[in-house]
Amino acid sequence: MSTHVLKTDGQVCPFPLVEAKATIAAIPIGDELVIDFDCTQATEAIPQWAADNGYPVTNFDRRGDASWTITVQKA
Amino acid sequence: MLLTGLVLGAALGFVLQRGRFCVTGAFRDVFVARKTTWLTAFVLVIAVQAVGVAALEGLGVISPASDPLPLGAVVVGSLIFGYSIVLAAGCATGTVYRSGEGLVGSWIALIFYGASAGAMKYGVFADLTTWARSQTVSLTTIHETLGISSWFLVAGLLAATLYAVHRHLSVPRRPVATLPPRRTGVAHVLLEKRWHPFATALVISVIAIAAWPLSTATGREAGLGITTPAADIATYVVTADTELIDWAVFLLVGIVLGSFIAAKASGEFRIRVPDATTVLRSIAGGIGMGVGAALAGGCTIGAAMVATAQFSWEGWLAFGFMLLGTGLAAKVYIINPSRAAAGDRAPALTNA
Repeated sequence: MSTHVLKTDGQVCPFPLVEAKATIAAIPIGDELVIDFDCTQATEAIPQWAADNGYPVTNFDRRGDASWTITVQKA
Repeated sequence: MLLTGLVLGAALGFVLQRGRFCVTGAFRDVFVARKTTWLTAFVLVIAVQAVGVAALEGLGVISPASDPLPLGAVVVGSLIFGYSIVLAAGCATGTVYRSGEGLVGSWIALIFYGASAGAMKYGVFADLTTWARSQTVSLTTIHETLGISSWFLVAGLLAATLYAVHRHLSVPRRPVATLPPRRTGVAHVLLEKRWHPFATALVISVIAIAAWPLSTATGREAGLGITTPAADIATYVVTADTELIDWAVFLLVGIVLGSFIAAKASGEFRIRVPDATTVLRSIAGGIGMGVGAALAGGCTIGAAMVATAQFSWEGWLAFGFMLLGTGLAAKVYIINPSRAAAGDRAPALTNA
């Protein structure tokens, strides 16, 4: 199992989620994807997407004002 | 009395920011994610507001006029508006409350939106707008056309919406990850907790209903609106014509203030400067929004959320064509972006 990092800082919604979808499709099952983002709406959209797809979220935290990181496992 | 606009706007800005209520996202989700949760929340606002509007009309508190339908202007304007909100990454309210979050791209979109709406309403293109909106067909409201009381439509819409809400709520849901809480009690609920889309929609409905009597008391007989006040502010800045400052102007300023307060208090405010592509899209989106909303007779709020609650043909046609315009733009920019456009947005993937 390995960990991949997707940096989407500076991108507005829905692009962080669009890229997260494209990236998770390209990694092996069991791998983790760290998504760094600073689009406020993604704090709702990305965890919701992970839940809808049954991907476990192993970390979700703030990195500072208006910046977040979430780790989604491909299951 | 104008200050009620500021207070109501601040409440709305707070709720929009904390509830992540984005109409562009609601419309876009239908095409991109094939999800209708947020669209259902949007229609819920219309349905609940329709009850309030019909009640206020019945009580004689308000008596809004419905003008004949400018068919061509509404269709063309709504398509342009729907397309543009994807470029601007937010509709009228979305752009306004994101400005309060510190997104410079939204500041740019908002400035161009106000300026182009001003040009279309009072400036060099005012004649064009007047001409386009004078090409009407003799339809006003749906209940007038059908010759029935508006209460039948209110009841029908409410029943259909509640059924859709019930269907969404009865889908078994997996737990959604949340941020580690830093606060407790009321502060946690107001500033941290994820608000359910339908709860957010209910609060917005109450604000939308309250807007009617508060605005009417100042002589502006209308509900929530964004385009005209944005045009008014832009025009006031260059003409100093104080006639333009009305209740809705205070409402708009209030939304920015309210979303700033919400974002600042919840640690979600930061000045975020966009890249060149986003700047260009914000400019194009802002101009398109102003042109589209001026022709259509309102934005996603004034036309698609407020005029619909009055069951005017104009509102429902605008809603439909804005949704269609958003779908077109979503296809071009999100679902099938060209390779060239995708190039500078390629995921920066690294192994950690």
